[in-house]
Amino acid sequence: MENKNPISPHIQIYNWHISSLVSISHRITGIINFFTITFIGIWIASLLLGEQSYQNINLFLSSFLGKFFCLGIIWSFSFQMLSEIRHLFMDLGYGFEQKTTKITGLIVLIGSFPLTVIIFIIGRVLI
Amino acid sequence: MVQLNLPANSKVEKGQYYKDKTGSKNIRKINIYRWDPSKNENPRLDTYEVDMDNCSSKVLDVLNKIKNEIDPSIAYRRSCAHGVCGSCAMNMNGKNGLACTKSHSELDGDIDIYPLPHLKVLKDLIGDLSTLYKQYESVEPWLKTSKVNDKENIQSKDDRAKLDGLYECIMCACCSTSCPSYWWNGEKYLGPAVLLQAYRWIIDSRDEDRKERLKKVADELKLYRCHTILNCTNACPKGLNPAKAIAEIKKMLATA
Repeated sequence: MENKNPISPHIQIYNWHISSLVSISHRITGIINFFTITFIGIWIASLLLGEQSYQNINLFLSSFLGKFFCLGIIWSFSFQMLSEIRHLFMDLGYGFEQKTTKITGLIVLIGSFPLTVIIFIIGRVLI
Repeated sequence: MVQLNLPANSKVEKGQYYKDKTGSKNIRKINIYRWDPSKNENPRLDTYEVDMDNCSSKVLDVLNKIKNEIDPSIAYRRSCAHGVCGSCAMNMNGKNGLACTKSHSELDGDIDIYPLPHLKVLKDLIGDLSTLYKQYESVEPWLKTSKVNDKENIQSKDDRAKLDGLYECIMCACCSTSCPSYWWNGEKYLGPAVLLQAYRWIIDSRDEDRKERLKKVADELKLYRCHTILNCTNACPKGLNPAKAIAEIKKMLATA
């Protein structure tokens, strides 16, 4: 009897809305950031091996793929940052009203793109 | 454990098609999840053509119409039909709610009706909520006080106001069964409905067991599986905010 009963459909049928989208994207970007930070750390450590390592990094970063990679991780960080700020407010008990969650969720989702561009441009200017 | 796919015996198959016999021009297709415990078959999605010209406004009215006029074998819980008892909680077009307060005119296209998500199905739209009830019992949802006088247990207006948005909960389980964390950890995570109830007693000025209650709920799995996905608040048919209640518990624990 125990195992005979089926489980009712869940993620297959449940509607997505802004907050759940932000939540799952927060997790995914979190995992991406974890790996990119590790990767960048190892990469920087490889500079100890001498000039050739520096040249390799430089070559990759100035290629099309390298720029795409940069934009990708900057977006991932931008999203995580904005979403984290949203979470900080929630931890303080603010922003739980349906309308507010929708607006702040949209700010995170849409705002991550201009923020990516801004950080990228600042990076270009500074370096 | 996170299991995204349904087990083999839970896969929903195509069901029967009940064609309209009234000759009405205002037809709407209603897809309903069916599972019969007496047969050894997978669940299926039956489709009913319903004459909407002679049907009242709520989804529960549609279900009653189908049960009365088309297929009496269909099983679902219902009682008050006024959004007070919480019996007819189900998933309609991908969102949990009460069939008796949800107007079918608010739903677009064909109406898909499923039982509350990620529950053991007992029959058709009836899910097994016994785990949730056990969890509810575990938070000891009653007033604990040493006062035994026969007078009123007085509360200030402000203290009473703290219970607004909490006491209205009817335990329909729409929120808990909308929560992905509850889907994956339903055995251990208490879920939004039970946590809102826990908070209702934690915040009650007449209750003398606040510390104990907080201590009991402060658990990696019981409480902190809430990741503010906010499906709960989005689903609540009474317009309550379980996510905020959970956040308040977390805040009390962090500042205690």
